[in-house]
Amino acid sequence: MKLHEFVVRRLLLLIPVLIGVAILTFTISHLIPADAAAARCGDRCGLTVAWTEDGVPITAYQQNIEQMGLDRPVTTQFRIYFEDLAVGDWGESSTYHRPVVDVLRDAAPITLEMTFFALFIAYPLGITLGILSAVRQDRMFDHISRFFAIAFVSLPIFWFAMVLQLLFAIGPPDSGVGGVCDPLFGTEGGCFPIFGRHDPSLTYPEDGFVPFYPAGGTGFHLIDSWFVTDQKLATLPAEFGSSRLLFKDTVLHLALPCACLGVASSGSLLRYMRASLLEVLHEDYVRTARAKGISESRVVIVHACRNALIPIVTILGFSIGGALSGAVLTETIFALNGMGRVAVKSIQYLDLPVIMGVTLITAVIFLLSNLVVDIMYAIVDPRVRLE
Amino acid sequence: MRGWDEGEEDRKESLRRVSEALSQSRSDFSRSWKIYRRSLLAVMGLLMVMAVGTISFFADDIAVEHPYRNLQDDEWQWSIDYEPQRQKPFSEECDWHEQSITTNPNSPLFSETVVAESDNHIHETAANGYHKDILTVVRLISLDDNNGYDLNISLISIDPNNSSILILSPELYENTSLPGGKVWLTYEFDNEAMHVSWMPEGYQRCIFGTNHQGQDMFSKVLYGSRVSLQIGITVASLTVIIGTIVGSVSGYFGGRIDEVIMRICDVFFAIPGLILAMAVVSAIPEMTSLTIPIWLGLLFPLLFLATVFREYLTSTIVGDQIFDQGMGPLMKYRKVLYLIPLVLFCLLLWPDLINFSDSRNWNLAVSMGVISILGVLVLADRKFIEKASFDGAGERLGKTVDWTNPWRYLSLRTVVIFVAAVVLYEFSGGDGGEIVIINDFDRLWKIQAALIVTGWPGYARLIRGQVLYVKEMAFVEAARSVGAPSGRIMFRHILPNAWAPLLVAFTLDIGGTILSASGLSFIGLGAKPGSAEWGILVSESRQWFPDDAYLMLFPGLAIAVTVLGFNLLGDGIRDVVDPKNRR
Repeated sequence: MKLHEFVVRRLLLLIPVLIGVAILTFTISHLIPADAAAARCGDRCGLTVAWTEDGVPITAYQQNIEQMGLDRPVTTQFRIYFEDLAVGDWGESSTYHRPVVDVLRDAAPITLEMTFFALFIAYPLGITLGILSAVRQDRMFDHISRFFAIAFVSLPIFWFAMVLQLLFAIGPPDSGVGGVCDPLFGTEGGCFPIFGRHDPSLTYPEDGFVPFYPAGGTGFHLIDSWFVTDQKLATLPAEFGSSRLLFKDTVLHLALPCACLGVASSGSLLRYMRASLLEVLHEDYVRTARAKGISESRVVIVHACRNALIPIVTILGFSIGGALSGAVLTETIFALNGMGRVAVKSIQYLDLPVIMGVTLITAVIFLLSNLVVDIMYAIVDPRVRLE
Repeated sequence: MRGWDEGEEDRKESLRRVSEALSQSRSDFSRSWKIYRRSLLAVMGLLMVMAVGTISFFADDIAVEHPYRNLQDDEWQWSIDYEPQRQKPFSEECDWHEQSITTNPNSPLFSETVVAESDNHIHETAANGYHKDILTVVRLISLDDNNGYDLNISLISIDPNNSSILILSPELYENTSLPGGKVWLTYEFDNEAMHVSWMPEGYQRCIFGTNHQGQDMFSKVLYGSRVSLQIGITVASLTVIIGTIVGSVSGYFGGRIDEVIMRICDVFFAIPGLILAMAVVSAIPEMTSLTIPIWLGLLFPLLFLATVFREYLTSTIVGDQIFDQGMGPLMKYRKVLYLIPLVLFCLLLWPDLINFSDSRNWNLAVSMGVISILGVLVLADRKFIEKASFDGAGERLGKTVDWTNPWRYLSLRTVVIFVAAVVLYEFSGGDGGEIVIINDFDRLWKIQAALIVTGWPGYARLIRGQVLYVKEMAFVEAARSVGAPSGRIMFRHILPNAWAPLLVAFTLDIGGTILSASGLSFIGLGAKPGSAEWGILVSESRQWFPDDAYLMLFPGLAIAVTVLGFNLLGDGIRDVVDPKNRR
């Protein structure tokens, strides 16, 4: 099977799963004991907004039920829901009072940025330690790193985030640590800002303290602060220097949540890498390479690692899923308004369209990243395509 | 036609082989333990799990106070100017107590001597549910009036004979200018009940500090282990059961069923776990208790009965000797053990269900009669099977109902018994009541249900893979060729050979479930605020986070240690059962 055939096939397989996810979210939203029609009109539900032709008054509530199609059979409702999904009308949030798509468009980049930055930390860390651990199998280093790998997987992520805040953002209590990092970033005590996405002091005072992130950007502040130039940036006060400062600020704010997410997934990566490398090191071609007299480091890095890394690609999918789950908790603690926090808030207020939207969009992100992973896997290991 | 009891030599030979295999399997266990013991981490994990289990079991004895002390007192019980104190771990002030004393002689609550006692806390044996500990006063610390102004401490003294009695001096209650007619006395107490017996002298309450309600965090963390272990084990075992059934059906039958089940699993896998669990938690309706109709409840004792009969009949087919060879006493006398729940069932449950007559004795007699009819049925079965022929059983596989196939006959008879029982119940004048399965379906049950709903596809996939692997083996084919029905092959031949990865996944899943449940509690979807659950304890501590970090430290550590214990245990078991790791 050619690569493009494989990709097309995988894409086609995605469709039933996506339909299934839509059915699942629809079912969940129908089971949730909340009245979407009442949520939409709030305290104005009893007001008369129109009359029928016979002159019978219609309340806002009744009108909502009719408009949202809640009086129709479930199958029809699902068809309407599905058609709306397809054309990009995901409903309107009753807590944010905005279209769900807009809410998600604002929230998704935050979570994605965090997830990818976290994996950026996790992969080098996990793979390096995994290689070292496998090379020094059954020695002290191996035991210690394996213990820490399991320990980091076992840590409750919300607690670990708070411990990180305690250690690096606030500074150990009564230790008087402070001013290690640039005091410009408003970090009191520790190295890193305790929460938020950027420093509240980085604003345009003349515009009513609007954060000076360029409005037309991608939403990924890491990219925006580096690439997107804004005329307004030139008008910044002198002490803020350039847009590099924005970048530094973004990185500092991302560091703790990403370290928190990243360390957890690096633990499992270490274990997979170790197991995979140990398996490869017993292969014949490694023995051949050694017999040729190649140095051990070259055997491990060039001959063994390249093959050991192949199965690690598949772990990427799991890591992304884990990071998306973990984001719910880290975002709550680090006060980042990403998808996780939107999900928590929507469930607290039983905001049905947002719950459905968040579930669906995380599923789409997760599925697409898995698709990319599979394609990568098919590229590095052509045997997969045959199955 | 060849009879069943022919071929005595073959039978003896197979008997010998079976007993050999069984003795092998017993030494297998000690060998497994040897492999397990090799890894320090695995042993550590086992110890950690055992420690958490012990702590949760003996929490009542180890804990200093009940975890819900004061919690259910409503707000009116809190005086405005008495705010319970958060205390740091090991602080001396943990043993201080502030008590209000009525000084208005006209008040019905007034008396000249006051008993030093703790605040209300919930007590199971107390008459109204509340209980106050009587405290032994060591030292009086301060006396304030209702506005917070200091008074002379010598106005109150400790009774020299009984250090739990405080004596009010006449100046205190004759001074009517005191606002509100009461004073606040702070004293240090030294109470037997508050001692942690295994701690050095002086450390009494709050080795972990106290929270904003003045509750001892140590006790709360201890009791939290109960909640977490309960959630972990319940959810993991139920997901295993559901996942195993679905996965083995999917793997065994294959084809369209497999396709549909796997696509459903794909859908569940497509949504990251915690987010799906959050959505499902919100979708589960509020209920107070989980009930099932009685006719469905009848299914469980009947299934039990059917299993017993089946077991008995199988042993008649295979021969009792083979079964009993090399088995422990528990397995050997299992028939006697089966009798115990049977008798209990007859005596307790069935007469109430049948409701045949007003007299209980009559009901009892009827139920005994039903049981004996079933017993006669078993004897008849035995005769039937001894007469049955096994020749050409493989050829008969394609036919739908084959009365000469003993296994199929047994399955059919079980269904018939069930239907008969339901019909019997319907005509016996049952009132159509419901059996309560979960008495108190609270928010904890809700997250358990959500975690089960989100967890089963993982097991289904795992088991499916295993079943696909084992299905191709020769002994499965052999069983099929004798005409054993699918259910029997699945549960008797395939699953016992696929348990190893299941056990590993189960152990790891307990840890994972504890993590997810505490995470759900943390974001406010799980346990009630104020309950002794680790996630809730951490989430409540955020209010005082940077200042009183000890509040979040210990519950979080408890989660980490428990989950780490289960993960290490699972890893250790994996090393034992994974053939790759056998050296």
